Amino acid sequence: MALIFKGFKETILRLAPLLLLIYICISEFHTQFYYWEIFSFNLQFIIIYYWILRDPSILGYGFVFLCGLTNDVVLSLPLATSAMSYLFVSLVAAYVRNATVRTSLFTDWFTFVVAIIIGNFLYFFLMNNFANANLEYSSVFYNSLFTFLFYPVFWGIFELYKKLIFVRSNA
Amino acid sequence: MATSRDDFGIAIRSALLQRGAKQKFSLFVLILLSIFIFSLDNADLKPVKVLRSLINDGVYRISAISSSPIKFSGSTKDFFVNHIFVYKENERLKTELDELKSKNYETLYLKTENDRLQNVLKLEKESPYKVVNAKVILDKNSPYLNSIIVNKGGNSGIKLGMPVLNQGFLVGRIVEVNFTSSRILLLNDLNSRIPVVISPEGYQAILTGSSKTKPVLQYLPENFKLGDKENLIFTSGKDGVLFPGIAVGKAIFEDDSVLVKLFSDPDQINFVSIALEQQADIGAR
Repeated sequence: MALIFKGFKETILRLAPLLLLIYICISEFHTQFYYWEIFSFNLQFIIIYYWILRDPSILGYGFVFLCGLTNDVVLSLPLATSAMSYLFVSLVAAYVRNATVRTSLFTDWFTFVVAIIIGNFLYFFLMNNFANANLEYSSVFYNSLFTFLFYPVFWGIFELYKKLIFVRSNA
Repeated sequence: MATSRDDFGIAIRSALLQRGAKQKFSLFVLILLSIFIFSLDNADLKPVKVLRSLINDGVYRISAISSSPIKFSGSTKDFFVNHIFVYKENERLKTELDELKSKNYETLYLKTENDRLQNVLKLEKESPYKVVNAKVILDKNSPYLNSIIVNKGGNSGIKLGMPVLNQGFLVGRIVEVNFTSSRILLLNDLNSRIPVVISPEGYQAILTGSSKTKPVLQYLPENFKLGDKENLIFTSGKDGVLFPGIAVGKAIFEDDSVLVKLFSDPDQINFVSIALEQQADIGAR
């Protein structure tokens, strides 16, 4: 019984990043705050980039794709717009994982710039050319900037969380 | 040089094709699948539209359920904040009451003036529209899009482009209709464009969303200046889609541009009325 409970706890801990990603995509969770109108960031990019880079066994590409599709439905975007931008963020993360031996916060952070640029550029291009939506360069820029600035904060939280999973599974 | 290019090629190929630990699909397959779905969705095929409509209905319901903890925490916070500040609020209300008493005569005058203006604009005190009332089930904004989802759709007679009111004021228009749900594009969305008329001068303009709480008035006449009296904004109906004379907001001059303070706060909408058609006997009443 204790073993089953331990296994259950471990599964829940390992599923948490995925559940968080699904919840953000499907719920009313806002990453834009109106008390400061230019302030918005893309938490999905941060979650995807971190977990694909640091522990891909926790976040599968298939789930990233499904979360993208769900986000498109909820926000009424052309289907697969977010999915494509998430998958390209995953691609950069997977590339960095393959190309580097030792990673640190700074290597992660600065390679994340490439992921944000590709992800947001793709989103901007698809939205402006296929969705009849007029996105402003400035809002995409601020979104990219704040996503970049917030990465170390979430990096720290996720690192602690990863250690917690590791400690639990080895206890 | 050639070695570094080879390394890049190997790393990118590996990232695209390798499935790795517990990955069921490669990125390459999923990117191809995304492009396929995106093309299908953009092809505007009827079966795809019907399928998307069904998916939308399902996902919106799930989304509404999963958002309930956020809604609950928001209302709980409001409840406590209201109770903490109840004394302060009481004092403020007393002061306001005194002010309001003194303004009673002014209000009576304004009421008469308002009645007269409404007669001029052929607005009725009762809703002049046949409406369907709907509840907001989802209020998810992206950094770029401001829209809400309501629990009534094509089965209630809702069609694309219909105006949406909150307490009698325009808040947006229908941009997506599913069987049991619809999406409303709010006036402050970047893609919202509404032809309006500025009262009392009667200038024509386009109300354009700016992703901020106050939309902007564009295409104003040259040397336009706001009048000394209140500059109220109504729909002009020039687009042939929205009904004319729906109150929208009040024009104000801010940040070197003419903005509109909406009568209905887009962040505080819980119920809306979708105007299906204008009552035929409006003139007879």
